[in-house]
Amino acid sequence: MNIFQEIWKSIVRRDPLSTDKGKSELVFMNVWLHIHPAKVKKENMKFTHSFYLGFITFFLFIILVTTGIALMAYYRPYPPHAYQDMKDLQFVVFMGPFLRNMHRWAAHGMVICVFLHMCRVFYTGSYKKPRQFNWVIGVFLLLLTLGMSFTGYLMPWDQLAYWAITVGTNIGSYAPIVGGQLRELLLGGHTVGEAALLRFYVLHVALLPAVLILFTIVHFWRVRKDGGLSRPLWKLKKKTPPQLVTIGAPAEVAALQTVPASTTKTYGLMEVVTGKPIFETIAPEEADEEVFSYPYAFVREAVTLMATVTTIMTISLFFNAPLEELANPAKTPNPAKAPWYFLGLQELVSHSALLGGVVIPGLMVVALLLIPYIDRNPSRHLRDRKWALWIFTIFVVANLILIVIGTFFRGPGWALVPPWVHVTGGVE
Amino acid sequence: MNRRSFLSWGAVGVAALCSGVVVSLGAVLKFLTPTVFYEPPQAFKIGNPGDFPFGQPTFLVEEKIYVFRDRVKGFAVASAVCTHLGCTVAHFSSDDRFHCPCHGSVFGADGAVIHGPAPRALDWYEVTQTRDGQLRVDKDKIVPPTYRLMV
Repeated sequence: MNIFQEIWKSIVRRDPLSTDKGKSELVFMNVWLHIHPAKVKKENMKFTHSFYLGFITFFLFIILVTTGIALMAYYRPYPPHAYQDMKDLQFVVFMGPFLRNMHRWAAHGMVICVFLHMCRVFYTGSYKKPRQFNWVIGVFLLLLTLGMSFTGYLMPWDQLAYWAITVGTNIGSYAPIVGGQLRELLLGGHTVGEAALLRFYVLHVALLPAVLILFTIVHFWRVRKDGGLSRPLWKLKKKTPPQLVTIGAPAEVAALQTVPASTTKTYGLMEVVTGKPIFETIAPEEADEEVFSYPYAFVREAVTLMATVTTIMTISLFFNAPLEELANPAKTPNPAKAPWYFLGLQELVSHSALLGGVVIPGLMVVALLLIPYIDRNPSRHLRDRKWALWIFTIFVVANLILIVIGTFFRGPGWALVPPWVHVTGGVE
Repeated sequence: MNRRSFLSWGAVGVAALCSGVVVSLGAVLKFLTPTVFYEPPQAFKIGNPGDFPFGQPTFLVEEKIYVFRDRVKGFAVASAVCTHLGCTVAHFSSDDRFHCPCHGSVFGADGAVIHGPAPRALDWYEVTQTRDGQLRVDKDKIVPPTYRLMV
C-alpha cells in the first residue's frame, strides 16, 4: 500500500460504495451526512410531495450566511459610515453589488420559501401526531426568519431602512405595559439612531443567526426522530399488520421466513452492518420501495442546492437590490412602507395600531403555534379535513390580499390608489 | 441526613437557584437598558423671536417641531411627530392641517385628530423666553394647544 492509499484510508474508513455496507457506512460514519437515514422511502422523496421547500429554505440560509460574512468585511454599523459602505459595495468593491444582490434576494426567497413550506406541511397534514412539536419549532423558525429579515432591513441606513424600522418598532410600542420599554431596549434609545443600528447589527449577525441555527438543528433532528419525512398523501392507506422477517440470514442458518410480529414493538433496526442474521419488523409492501440514501437522496439534494444557488445568482445578475438616499430623520418618504412581508401588517396598522399591530398578529402567531393541538383529527386525507383546509386557506388568502393591497394599492398619504393610476408629486 | 432535612435543604437549594436565575435575568435586562443617551437634549434654544416670520409655521428639521408665530396670539410650538407610528407630519398651508405620509392621519390646526388611525392629538410644547432673549422649547413639558407665549 503506497502512502497515498494510506492517507486516503485514514480519512475514509468505509467500505467501497459499490457495496450496501459501504453505502450505509457513508451515511453513519460521516458527521455531516449522518443527519440522514441510511435508507429513504422513494415516495417520500418525490418532488410533488414536498416540492423540496424545506431543503430550498435551508440552502437559501447557507447562501445568506456565506454572502453575509463576505459583506461584513466592508460594512461598519455606524450611521455616517454604514450608508457610505453600502455605496462602496454598490460602486467600488469588486463583486460588491453581486454579493449584496444575492444576500437581498436570498433573504426575500427565504421568507417566501419558509411560508410555502409551512403551507405544504399544513396541506399534507404532516404536522399531525407524532410531528406536532416539530410544527411548533417550525413556527418559531418562521418568526426568526422574519426577525432576521427585519433587522437586516435597517443595515443599509437609507430612507427605506430608516422609516421601515421607525414604523416597525413603533408598532411594537403599542404592546400593553411593556411596549415602550421593549422599544427602548431594542433601539437602545428613543429614536432610530446609532445605538439602534448597532443593536440591530448584533441581532442580525450574531444573536438571531445563532438561535436560528439551534432551532434548525432541533427541527432536523426531530424530522428523523418523528419517523423521517412524512408519507405523501397518495401513499396513505390502511396499515397492514407488521411482519417479523429474517433478513440477511446466511444460507446455512435458515431460509428467509416471515412470521407475524408484535404490534407493540417500540424499537426498530437502524441498519444492517454485518452479515449475521437480524430480525426486523417491516411492512412487506413498503420494504421494496426503500432505497439507500446514497445516491438516491443525495443526488436530489445536490441538484436542489445547485438549482437554488443558480436561481439566486441569475436573479442577482439582472436585478439590483434597492438603495435609496441616505436616511433623513426629518423627511418621511410618502408613502413610507415597511418590507413587503410586513405590508399586510402595516395595512392592518393603518386602521388601528393596537388591534392591527399587536392583537391580531399576536393571535395569529398563537393560532399557528396551537394548530397541531387544536386539530385533533388524526386523518391526513384531504376529504376528512374540510374545516381545517378552509380555515387555513382563508388565513393564507387574507394575508396575501392584505400584502397585495399594501404593496400595490397604497399611494401617498396611504390613500387607496390602484397601481395603474400614476401619481405624480404626491402630497408634500 | 434524614428525609425531612434532605427535602428542606433541597427546597432551599431550588429556591436559591430560581432566585439566582431571576436576579441574573434582571441583571441582563439592566445591562441592555441604556443609561446614557447620546441623543439631542429635550430642552433647547431655537433662536431669537425675530428669526421667525408671522403667518406660516417654521419647520425645524433637527428638532422635528413646527414654530407658529401670530401677531396677536404670539408663539406656539407643535410636535411634527405623528402620534400613530412616529412619521414626520407635513403642515399644509392650503388647508391649515397636518398630514402624515405613512398612514394618512390628518390633524387640525390645533393638532386634534381629524382623520386616520392616530390615537391622540399632536403634542404642543412649552416655549419660554430666556434671559438672553432667545426662545427655549422643552419637549418634556406638554402644554394645551391654547398655550401661547407673548414676546
